[in-house]
Amino acid sequence: MSPALPIDWADWMVACAEAIALVVIVTGLLQTAFYFVQLVYAGAALAGRPPVPRSATLWRRYSEQAPAISVLAPAYNEELNIVESTRSLLALQYPDFEVIVINDGSKDATLQRLIDAYGLARVDRFVDGAVAHADIRGFYASPDVPRLLVVDKENGGKADALNAGINCCRTSLFCAIDADSILESDALLRVIRPFIDDPHLTIAAGGTIRIANGCRVDSGRIVGIGLPRSFLALVQIVEYLRAFLMARLGLSRMQALTVISGAFGLFKRRHVVEVGGYSHATVGEDMELVIKLHRLMRDRGQEYRIDFIAEPVCWTECPDSLQILSRQRARWQRGALECFAKHKDMLFNRKYGRIGFVGFGQILLVDVVGPLIEVLGYALIPLLWALGLLALPWLLAFLAITFTLGLFLSMATLVLEEIQLRRFPRARELAVLAAVAVLENFGYRQLSNFWRLQGWWQWMRKKQNWGTMTRKGFATSGG
Amino acid sequence: MTSLLFLWEISLVLCGIGLACLLALIVARLFSTHSADARREARREILPLLLEDGGYAGQLRGMELDVATALTMELAEMTAGSERSAMLARASALGVPGHLERQMHSRSAQTRLTAVETLALFDECGRQARAALDDDNADVRLGAALAIARRDDAPPPAVMVEKLRVGSEERSLLLVSLMSDLAERDPGAVAAILFEKDMPYDAKVAATDALSRTGSEYAPLLATMAAAASGESDLQPRIFRALGRTGHPAGRASILEGLHSDEWPVRASASEAAGRAVLVDAAERLGELLGDENWWVRFRAGEALLRLGPRGIAVLRVAGDSDVPVARLSAEAILAEGRAA
Repeated sequence: MSPALPIDWADWMVACAEAIALVVIVTGLLQTAFYFVQLVYAGAALAGRPPVPRSATLWRRYSEQAPAISVLAPAYNEELNIVESTRSLLALQYPDFEVIVINDGSKDATLQRLIDAYGLARVDRFVDGAVAHADIRGFYASPDVPRLLVVDKENGGKADALNAGINCCRTSLFCAIDADSILESDALLRVIRPFIDDPHLTIAAGGTIRIANGCRVDSGRIVGIGLPRSFLALVQIVEYLRAFLMARLGLSRMQALTVISGAFGLFKRRHVVEVGGYSHATVGEDMELVIKLHRLMRDRGQEYRIDFIAEPVCWTECPDSLQILSRQRARWQRGALECFAKHKDMLFNRKYGRIGFVGFGQILLVDVVGPLIEVLGYALIPLLWALGLLALPWLLAFLAITFTLGLFLSMATLVLEEIQLRRFPRARELAVLAAVAVLENFGYRQLSNFWRLQGWWQWMRKKQNWGTMTRKGFATSGG
Repeated sequence: MTSLLFLWEISLVLCGIGLACLLALIVARLFSTHSADARREARREILPLLLEDGGYAGQLRGMELDVATALTMELAEMTAGSERSAMLARASALGVPGHLERQMHSRSAQTRLTAVETLALFDECGRQARAALDDDNADVRLGAALAIARRDDAPPPAVMVEKLRVGSEERSLLLVSLMSDLAERDPGAVAAILFEKDMPYDAKVAATDALSRTGSEYAPLLATMAAAASGESDLQPRIFRALGRTGHPAGRASILEGLHSDEWPVRASASEAAGRAVLVDAAERLGELLGDENWWVRFRAGEALLRLGPRGIAVLRVAGDSDVPVARLSAEAILAEGRAA
């Protein structure tokens, strides 16, 4: 039998256990409360600006005044899909746009495929030098495809390629997309809406990213929406719905949006140039660009809007292996931490208004301390319970409430999806996603937090590389 | 009730609400799938009634009327002229305008907006469509204004501006479409907006853009406005672009002055206007602007010089031999690009 602990030591342990439990509970409650606020704002956003269901209606209303857009598509070693991806971009329904494909020093035949497929020839182009990027080797175009310009440059990474695209574009707006994603044909016409409705205020807008695994793709278009068989891909569908239809819609309504996904965002070129374009040597360049834009406008004391529009959809392929997903999540975590650390002076700074309090508060709560506290909770609370320092009924009650709050939010997101987008053709798919929303709480959520913790560790060790992100390509997805 | 029990009850309530929502969603989806089939069938039956004479089926009711209304909206987007008029007459006989009027009281702003856009196409429904100019939702008001602007009984532009709360709530670029439609019918009334002292700035800008599209008659007025807007870096570029569109010589002095502005957006837009208006007098200044500190000004100046033809190309060639590296590089690049084009 072990000797009894001295009285003060036991008291100290109980006090510690209570403090840890309190921190975990308070952080969890704050997070959940914030999610609920986002949900309310997301609902308000939907009620205030209803979707336009038909593309033809959208065209009739907006096409006459729609400003010209340059679509920037960086491509690195995309020889398998580049011709099809470019074809789908050229087929976008928008009155005035140019597609600029930036071959970022691909080691494969990406450039040659484009030259052959579109009959491109070398041309001259007078370009700006406003933002820094690696050397441009040449420009390719063809009078037969007047909307297409291919920029061939030295490899410098995605941010560098986008900066080259910004220097080459000649429109007041540019749309940054991933060349391996699929934009819905009316996506530009939908995402332009805030720039038409509030032309002097809107400086950036993002659209929804959705998972294409399980969908049928033909000639660079989604022709049939379906669910993947892999649980990992399914759970990411629920995550993306929550992230875009609740979090970003809500934050946009609060005017505290800090992320526009790199896969699909529309920006006023002038302001992006003023902040120096995309930052090099960061893995969260898309997030940082938005934060830099907020900072610029707040520093100048100028009114502005950065919006999220739920209707325009960009489809992307998500990882369906644990190894690749873990790399992606660790990288996202690193990106968020890098941005937070770089702009930490904005946190709770009155000068930055809602961005300082709501936007950065959210990053602090969800991205910075969120995974730490949650993993700490997973590790310590059962331990403290085992030591008899926490009562089982309370432990179970808090677990239950954490679980049901998460479940409620997921269901609410599915409701938003049904009201706003309604992209899933059958009721069965809704039921499957609801089941996944329940199941993700057992195992996946914990694993995801562990990956985020890895991201923390990598950030502390100043790891810079992206990690390999292998994609199967849309040609093989389908069902 | 203890705190512990309270936590459990909260969990149960949340779980119950979540599951109820999901169940409701699935049931609603099952119903909507079923009703979609019925609507598809109804569409097949009603489409000929709207497209062909002789298929008159009397006033429709319920789901059939709803389908006919939706079809009318879609067909109105795809047809024009006499074809549209005939389709609307058939829709009228089926009872569509009455249904649209009821839809204008819908709680959904999108439904009201679509309803008023379609209702405004029916000759006899002007009054009902005008009522939507007082709608609470800004999108509905603007949509109604755009739809009504094409009618002969549209309210005067000043009334539209007031109803839409232009300047305070409404700043949309669609105001240009609105003013363009109004200007087609009564350009004088739109031009009058420019002289109204208390008229909002956004209304004046939209009117300026719209008038430039109606022809060159208002170029002298635009030129005066361009001079008056000196120092307003948002407004002046739009006026210069509008002047460029008219291509009228009345804008010459203003454009030449704009090329010397301290603001780069103004210099860039004035350069663009000089090119569009083929203002040969501006060639020397445009040549100087090839060495401007701002790339947009250099680009627009180069583009304008190309548009000026031989005189502009001569200036570009001279700049190509310039001692100023920026001007030389700009000229070389523009000439190379011009050759490639």
